[in-house]
Amino acid sequence: MIAMKTRLINQNNAPYRRFVQRLLIVGCCALAAAPDVLAGAREQAKRIHDRLAGVPPTEAVLLDMAADISSGNAIQAAYTAMDNEAFYSITLKNLVTPWTNRDQTVFAPLNDYTATVIGVVRDELDFRRILFDDILYVGAGSLGLPPYANDNNDHYEAFENQNISFITGLEQRQQSSVTGLPAAATSGVLTSRGGARSFFIAGTNRAMFRFTMLNHLCNDLEQVHDISLPPDRIRRDVTRSPGGDSRAFLNGCVGCHNGMDPMTQAFAYYNYIYDADSDLTGENGSIGYNDVGQTDAVTGSRVTAKYHINDANFSFGYLTPDDSWINYWRTGINSRLGWDQNLPGSGSGARSMAQELAYSQAFAQCHVTKVFRNVCLREPEDAADRSQIDAMVASFSSDTHSYNIKQVFAESADYCKGD
Amino acid sequence: MRALKLAVFAAVAVGFLSGFTGCSSGSSADNPSNPDTSQPPGGSSGVTYNGPAPQTDDVQNFRLNVWDNLAAETHCGACHGVGGQVPQFVRDDDINLAYNAANTIVDLRVPANSRMVSKVAEGHNCWESNASVCGDIITNYIEGWAGDGGNANVIALTAPTIQDVGASKTFPSSSAEFDTLIYQPYLRQYCASCHAEDGAVAQQQPYFAGSNVDDAYQAAKSKINLDIPASSRFVVRLGDESHGCWDNCANNAAAMEAAIAAFSDGIPVTTVDADLVLSKALRLTDGIVASSGGRVESNVIALYEFKAGSGSTAFDTSGVTPSLNLQLSGDYEWVGSWGIRFNSGKAQGSTANSRKLFDFITTSGEYSIEAWVIPDNVNQDGPARIVTYSGGNETRNFTLGQTLYNYNYLNRSSVTDANGNPDLSTADAAERLQATLQHVVLTFDPVEGRRIYVNGEYTGDADDQGGASLNSWDDSFALALASEVSNSDRWAGTVRLLAIHNRALSDEQVLQNFDAGVGEKFFLLFSVTDLINVPDSYVVFEAQQFDNYGYLFNTPFFVSLDANAQLSDIPLRGMRIGINGREAKSGQAYANLETVLSDANYVAGRQDLSPLGTVLALEKGPTDDEFFLSFDRLGDNTYVRTPVTVPVPGAPADLTPRPRIGMRTFDEINATLAAATGVSQTNSEVAATYATVKQQLPTVPYIDGFLAANQMAVTQLAVKYCSELVDDTGLRASFFPGFNFSASAATAFDTPAKRDQVISPLLDRLLANDIAGSSLSTQPDPAVVSAELNGLIDKMVACGSGCASDRTPTVVKATCAAAVGNAVMLVQ
Repeated sequence: MIAMKTRLINQNNAPYRRFVQRLLIVGCCALAAAPDVLAGAREQAKRIHDRLAGVPPTEAVLLDMAADISSGNAIQAAYTAMDNEAFYSITLKNLVTPWTNRDQTVFAPLNDYTATVIGVVRDELDFRRILFDDILYVGAGSLGLPPYANDNNDHYEAFENQNISFITGLEQRQQSSVTGLPAAATSGVLTSRGGARSFFIAGTNRAMFRFTMLNHLCNDLEQVHDISLPPDRIRRDVTRSPGGDSRAFLNGCVGCHNGMDPMTQAFAYYNYIYDADSDLTGENGSIGYNDVGQTDAVTGSRVTAKYHINDANFSFGYLTPDDSWINYWRTGINSRLGWDQNLPGSGSGARSMAQELAYSQAFAQCHVTKVFRNVCLREPEDAADRSQIDAMVASFSSDTHSYNIKQVFAESADYCKGD
Repeated sequence: MRALKLAVFAAVAVGFLSGFTGCSSGSSADNPSNPDTSQPPGGSSGVTYNGPAPQTDDVQNFRLNVWDNLAAETHCGACHGVGGQVPQFVRDDDINLAYNAANTIVDLRVPANSRMVSKVAEGHNCWESNASVCGDIITNYIEGWAGDGGNANVIALTAPTIQDVGASKTFPSSSAEFDTLIYQPYLRQYCASCHAEDGAVAQQQPYFAGSNVDDAYQAAKSKINLDIPASSRFVVRLGDESHGCWDNCANNAAAMEAAIAAFSDGIPVTTVDADLVLSKALRLTDGIVASSGGRVESNVIALYEFKAGSGSTAFDTSGVTPSLNLQLSGDYEWVGSWGIRFNSGKAQGSTANSRKLFDFITTSGEYSIEAWVIPDNVNQDGPARIVTYSGGNETRNFTLGQTLYNYNYLNRSSVTDANGNPDLSTADAAERLQATLQHVVLTFDPVEGRRIYVNGEYTGDADDQGGASLNSWDDSFALALASEVSNSDRWAGTVRLLAIHNRALSDEQVLQNFDAGVGEKFFLLFSVTDLINVPDSYVVFEAQQFDNYGYLFNTPFFVSLDANAQLSDIPLRGMRIGINGREAKSGQAYANLETVLSDANYVAGRQDLSPLGTVLALEKGPTDDEFFLSFDRLGDNTYVRTPVTVPVPGAPADLTPRPRIGMRTFDEINATLAAATGVSQTNSEVAATYATVKQQLPTVPYIDGFLAANQMAVTQLAVKYCSELVDDTGLRASFFPGFNFSASAATAFDTPAKRDQVISPLLDRLLANDIAGSSLSTQPDPAVVSAELNGLIDKMVACGSGCASDRTPTVVKATCAAAVGNAVMLVQ
C-alpha cells in the first residue's frame, strides 16, 4: 500500500498536493476545535443532511430544509434529506453491511440481507419484519441485472457496481417466491442467502442466533450470561468438562448455552450447502432446508446433521429431535430484555423465534440506539441523551409510527441538529 | 401391579436396558474374541495343575482367571494351599475344592466387594508397594471369572440408611455485611470496570460490582461458598486462574478468602428451607457401586486405571506379569475421578518391564491401544505424545499422538519406517479430537493394518499402508505417557484409563468398552417414601465424580423396592438437586421435568424419568458433600417457587462528551467529491482510484480518529476527481463557465474575475460560498478559502512564460483538488 501510494503521488504535481494536505490539516483542526455553535436553520439543515445522507445538500434543498426548520418542522426537513439517494446507498448500506458477515466488516458486497433491510426502511414498513417475514428485496427486472440466484450473489453485486438507485431500483418480493423456500420456513434476513452464507455455514447454527442477538438486540452472549437457568436443552456437543475442568462449564459455558441452545433449536432444519473442498467460503453455496418428508441421513429426522455433531462430547446432553424452541430468558435476569407478553415464548421454527426477538423491547432499544449513534456520531452520553433514546423508543413502538425506523432517523437528526 | 424387580442392570449407564450379562471382564458370549495364544501355558503363575478336571465350566473359569494367577508362592500359594491357612482357594490337589473355598470369599455380582479383594487391599500380603493395587488386580481376576459364568452386571438395589438433609449456612437477606466486608473493599474497588452495568472497560455479567449493592449482592451469591470460603469462585478465579488480580494474585486470593470467611463467620448455621419438598439425603459414598464391568479385557496385557490417587507410580493392574508400572515425573496431578493430569509431565516404565509389550504383541502380531483421555486443548502438535512405546524422537514401535484436532497413529511395521511413518491420522475436517473426555482406540492387525476409533466409532480413516508384520519391532524401547521418552513433544491432558491388548479389538468390542465408560459410578437412592406413601420408593441417579471439580448425575429413574407397591398416578414436577443444604445454583437439568409416576409408566422394574445427565459443582469432596432432591411438586406436596426479582439496572455513568462534529467516511467522501466535481462515481479512472484508497479513507466518523493515512487517501481521490473533471472538455466547460482553458498560464489567471471562474463553482458545490447573501457560519470564511486558493495559483503560475503548455489545466486541477479535498468537504 505504501509503495502504491507513493507511486500515485509521484504521478501528479507535488506542489499542489502539499497544499491540499496543508488545507486538510488546518481545516480539520480548526473545525474540530470549534464549539458546537450553530447560527440558525441553514446550518442545522446542512448538518441534518450531512448526517442522514452523508453528502452535502444542494443549495435549493438546503434552503427548503431551512424553511421547514424555521417553521418548527425539523422532522420534515429530515425526511427531505432522506429523499437523497445517498441515505440508502451510503448511510443505510454502511450501517447494515456489518450485520451481514461474521467479520462485521463494512467492506463487503451488497447482498440480499442488506438490500432487504434498506427496502424495508425505504418503504417505511414495520422494521421488525426484517427478522421474520416472508420478504425480500431484489433489483427491478427492468434493470437487466443478472437474475437473483440461490447460489451466487451476482445480482446484488451488479446492482451495487452499476450504482443503481435504491429508491427506484429496489422492489419488494415474497422471499419464498424468489428463493423457493417454503413460505413457513422464511424468516426475513435470517433466511436470506446473505444471512445463510454467513451464519448457517458449517458449525452448529449457533452463529445465526449469536449474531442476530448481537446485531439486532445489541447483546452479545456475555451480556445475557445466567448460570441459574436449567441446562436441559444444551446439546451433546458442548463438553461439560473442557480440558477436564468442569468449573469452566459450570461458571462459563452453561451461562450462555442454557439460553442459546433452546432458542437455536429453531434453526434445526437449516443448513448452508456448499462444497467445502473447492469453495471454502461458500461463494456458490445456497441455503438448505429440510422440508416435511425430507430426512437427514445422520439424524433420521428433519434435523440437520450439524445438530448431532460431536454428540459423544457429553452423551447425556440434549439430542435435538425437531425445531421446537423455548425462551428460557423470559425468567431471570434476562427478562430485562422486555419480551412481548402477548407471544407464547415458545414455538417451532425460525420465524416464530425470530418474531420473539423482534418483538422484544431490546430490539427496539438496540436499533434506536444504533440510529442515534449513526446520526449523532456518539454514544448516548448523559441523562439528556438517554431520555431522548427512551422517547424515541416509545415513538418507534407507538401506534403512530408502527416501527417505522425512518422516523427514528428523523428524530435523531432533529435532536442532534445543533443549537 | 406386577412385582417390582429389585435389580437393575449396569447398562443403565448408557441410558437403556441392553439386557446383556456376563461380560464384566473378558469377552461376552455375543462378542467372542480370538483365542488367546499368547498367554504362557500353565497360567501366568507358572504353577502346573495336575489334579482332577474341573467339574463345571464355572470351575474352569475360576481356574483360568483366578487360580492360575494366584497359585504362585509369590502371591497366595505359600499360605492358602493344601494344608495351609483357610480358605485354601489356591490348593493344587483338586481345583474343585479350591473353587468351593474361593466361593466363600468372593462376590461375583460386584467383584470389588469380595472379601478376597478387601483383605488384600487392606494390606494383607500385597506383592506390590500399594495394597490397593493388589485389590484392583484381584478384582480384575474375579471379574474375569464372573465374566462368563456370573452375573456381574446385575446390580441389586438396596435401601440406604435414611437420613434427613443436614444444616448449612444460607445467605442473609440484608446485603449490609456483604457491602462492608466484600463489596466495598474488593468487588466495587477492583472489579467494577468490567463486572458492572456501568463498567468503564466492559459490561460483563454477572454485575457483582455494579453501583447498586443489593443488585451486586444477588449476583455475587453464586460466587461465594459460605461453607468453604476457599472454594468460592471469587477466590479460585483470583488464585488459580489469575483473573482480574489487582496486584499479586496469591495475595489477592488470600484477601478475598479472608473477607468471605469473615462474612461467613457472621452467618449462623441454618437448616435447609423447610418449605422445600425434600427427599432424604445421601453422600456419594452412600451409593451402591455400579459395576464398571462390561469391558472386554480378555487379552489385556497392561492396564492403568489410576485409582491410587497419589504417589509417583501409576500401577499396571492387568495382573499380567511383569507389572509394567510407570514412574511419574515432571508436572502432573492426580485426578479424583481416577486419572492423571499431565501439565508438563511424563509417566514411563522401565525398558525391562516394557519388554512384555514386545513379547506379547509380536507373538500375536496384533494389538490395541485403548485410552480414555481429555486433551487440555486443541493446539498441541508434534505430534504431542499421548501414549508411546519408543526409543527416542525418531524411533518407536507405536505412538498415539495429537496434532491439533487430529489423533495420530504411528506404528513400526514391515511397511513403515523405524519411526512408524507414514502415520495414520484422523481427517482434518472431521475434527475428531476435542478437548473433552474421549475414548480412543488404535488397533493393528496383519490384515487390516491400522485403524482408529473415537468414542466407539471407527473413524473411517483408511490405512494406505495396509496389513503388515511387526517383525521390525525393537524390544529395547519403553512405554511412556504424555511425553516422548526423551522428554520432548509433551502432551497436556488427562489420561483416565489406558489398556493395552495384544489383540485387535473388533468394532463391537470397541463399542462395548466405550459404552462401559470410565471411573467409579454409584447408584444413589434418594428416598421419597415419606412424600408419596409408596413403600420403599426412591428416585435413583447414577452418579460419579466427573473430574476434580464436579459430579455427574445422570438418567434418573423411579423405583420401589417393595414388590407389592402400587403407583396411583402421582404427579412429579420440577426436580432439583441439592448439595450441602441448598439447591445447586447451576446444573438443574431436571427443573423442567414434569411426569406422572404410574403403573403404566413403570416398566421392567422402574420408571425412567429423564435420559439427561447434568454436572454439579464439587464443594467439599465426594466423601463429604451431601446431596438431596427437591420437587416443585411430588404427589400432594408442592413448593411455590418465587420468581427471581430482576433488579432494575442503575443509570450508567455519564461519558466524557464527544465532539459534536465528525468526518465523512469513505463512501460519503467519494459521493461528496462526485457531487462537488460533477464527475460520476462510475468513471473508470475514479472508480479504480477509489478501489485502491477505499480502505485507507476514514471508516469511522470520529474526528479525533483522523490519521495521516486518511489524509493521503483523501488527497489522492480528490486529485483524481479533479483531473477527470478538467480533462473532460465538455464537463469542465459547464462546470467552469467562461474560463479559458486554452489560454496560457500567464494570462488565464491574470485577473480576479478569471480566477473566480475557477474558485466560485467549487465553493458553491460545497456550500462554502455565500448562500442567499451570507455564508454558513459552520463553514470557513469564503474569503479566507479564496485567499488560500489564490495563493496556490500564484505559486503555480510563477513560472510565467516558461510554463509548460498544459500548465493552465494543471493549475485548475490543483485548485480544484485543494478546494474539494480539504476539511470543507470532509467535516460533517
